[in-house]
Amino acid sequence: MEQPLAARNHQCALTRRMSHLTLNRLSKRYGETVAVADVSLSVARGESVALLGPSGCGKTTTLRMIAGLIQPSAGAIEVLGVDVTQVPAHRRNMGYVFQSYALFPHMSVAANVGFGLDERGVGRSERDRRVAAALSQVRLEGLSARKPRELSGGQQQRVALARALVIEPDVLLLDESLSNLDARLRDAMRLEIRDLQRSLGITTLFVTHDQTEALTLCDRIAVMHAGRVEQIADPVTIYERPASRFVAEFVGRSVVLPVERSEAGLVLGGRPVRTAHPVPESRALELFLRPQRIALAGPETEAGAHNRLGGVVRSHVFVGDRLEVLVDTQAGRVTVETSGAGAVAQPGDAVSLIWSPSDTLVFARAAP
Amino acid sequence: MREGAGPWLGAAAALVYVVLLAPVAVVVFIAFSADSFIVFPPSGYSLRWFQRLWAHEALMRGLSLSLMLAGIVTIGSLAIGVPAAYAIARAKVPAAGALKAFFLAPLLLPTLVLGLALLMALQPLRLTATLTGLALGHMVMTVPFVIRLMVTTFATLPDEVEAAAASLGATPWRVFRRVTLPLAIPGLAASAFLSFLLSFDETVISLFISGPRASTLPVEMVRYVEGRTDPLVAALSVVLIVATLFVILVVERIAGLARVVGR
Ligand SMILES: Nc1ncnc2c1ncn2[C@@H]1O[C@H](COP(=O)(O)OP(=O)(O)OP(=O)(O)O)[C@@H](O)[C@H]1O
Ligand SMILES: [Mg+2]
Repeated sequence: MEQPLAARNHQCALTRRMSHLTLNRLSKRYGETVAVADVSLSVARGESVALLGPSGCGKTTTLRMIAGLIQPSAGAIEVLGVDVTQVPAHRRNMGYVFQSYALFPHMSVAANVGFGLDERGVGRSERDRRVAAALSQVRLEGLSARKPRELSGGQQQRVALARALVIEPDVLLLDESLSNLDARLRDAMRLEIRDLQRSLGITTLFVTHDQTEALTLCDRIAVMHAGRVEQIADPVTIYERPASRFVAEFVGRSVVLPVERSEAGLVLGGRPVRTAHPVPESRALELFLRPQRIALAGPETEAGAHNRLGGVVRSHVFVGDRLEVLVDTQAGRVTVETSGAGAVAQPGDAVSLIWSPSDTLVFARAAP
Repeated sequence: MREGAGPWLGAAAALVYVVLLAPVAVVVFIAFSADSFIVFPPSGYSLRWFQRLWAHEALMRGLSLSLMLAGIVTIGSLAIGVPAAYAIARAKVPAAGALKAFFLAPLLLPTLVLGLALLMALQPLRLTATLTGLALGHMVMTVPFVIRLMVTTFATLPDEVEAAAASLGATPWRVFRRVTLPLAIPGLAASAFLSFLLSFDETVISLFISGPRASTLPVEMVRYVEGRTDPLVAALSVVLIVATLFVILVVERIAGLARVVGR
């Protein structure tokens, strides 16, 4: 295990450079509708990438093109440098877990999981052994004789997962597979899938419109909007340094305030405000802040290098694990999240809002 | 709310059934009549008309031809209709919508027109009054039914299931055989049943294209009734009712089995 650091870095760089799955300007049009536009993405071996975006942004279409279930209008798909764009679905060796699970209703759990092995001409005893192993992997040992409709949603999901994993796919494709489950089961399945994915080292593309899922489950996130990829980055970067207004709004909660440009710099509620990040050229601008990055302080607190905005507490909202404080400022109403511990400013109190220039993002204002 | 439809509606439904089934009941009584003519109620009961039926050569020949014909028509209609319906339902052929409309056209034509058209088409081919000609004629009726039924069956199969099979490595043909076909069994059973009964029952078209060499049971029955009215046809009707009930039970078994197996 003790490898020289240089060697390890070198290996890392090699696997990074060696893209396992590459999408090259992939597009899909349905008549006038552009479902997917110019999606380029490269996924390293063993990496898991989430496709995150609102309903109808082209996530499923992208996944189906990768699996060969839809023919792209333009662009190419490569696996280990080999162009597979024209290869039919049944020769791509990709494990697909459908949103509806799509289990075969007329087959037992064991036959469902064994289906892909039958199609590969795997012998009976070997097949039975691998089916049993796959079922124990997803902790469904006792249920192999059941029919899909005799299973709960979570159990069906696990059969679908086992069925996709047992063929040892080159790439695992998961389409909103957890959205049908209740919150607790979803959390449990998320962890289970991530552990399996990590321990098997399987290259995974995970479609979801649930940002928690994307943030917790994946090495990188590709945020999609109207058929295009807006940003691809690791979860922290997506959250802390969203590349566009859309990403900032879609991922996590935001405080959005109008901000003006003056000779001296940016002006927020009549006071100068600093940002550590580039400001777009556009004239109408908006300032984005994460509510938990804003500190509440006394009215006369010196902010130093930080930004400061004065205001009056309007109300409190207790949300269980945090306390939301609504503050009226000259720039507008601001929601601040605090842990709720210690002394809390009461409604009517004058306060200062203090935050760092590095937490201050500025985007062009959306067209009204 | 009360369970069921309430006593008045129930009584009304029962009355309708009685009115509808009364003639059938009369036929059953007459079939077991001992009289030489149709009299209701019969003055005595016997099996003599069943024995006469068994000995009646023309009707028995018609019955065996009709059974064979219905079997051939059923197999032929499924062989043509199922692949056609699959292609239409999966829109694998250009202008699938127009094709669907085209295949439904024979269902809308009066059978009289269809019969005449078939006579004119089959005569030059010397296919009138042959098993082949009759089978072709009946399939003009049954294939559209099968296509219609099977398009619906294929269209209502669970989404994504075929895609799942393909992603697991099944070729299109294997997907059809291992997934699509087993899930379509209830529709297939209904199609087979319908084709069989439609062909067995078909009279108008058969009247046009039957002849002394090949004549189906309904045609022979029409001929018989033209000449005489005695309880023989009633006995024949009872045989047909029992046979139909038997087929329904078999189909119910198969479709029911399919439900147990998966759907
Ligand atoms: N067969 C089709 N014909 C026409 N338009 C289609 C077809 N399939 C998808 N679209 C359109 O393409 C766009 C992207 O669809 P897609 O199913 O990829 O969305 P999605 O991101 O998976 O959404 P969701 O989160 O709701 O599943 C949508 O606007 C959809 O209406
Ligand atoms: Mg989708």
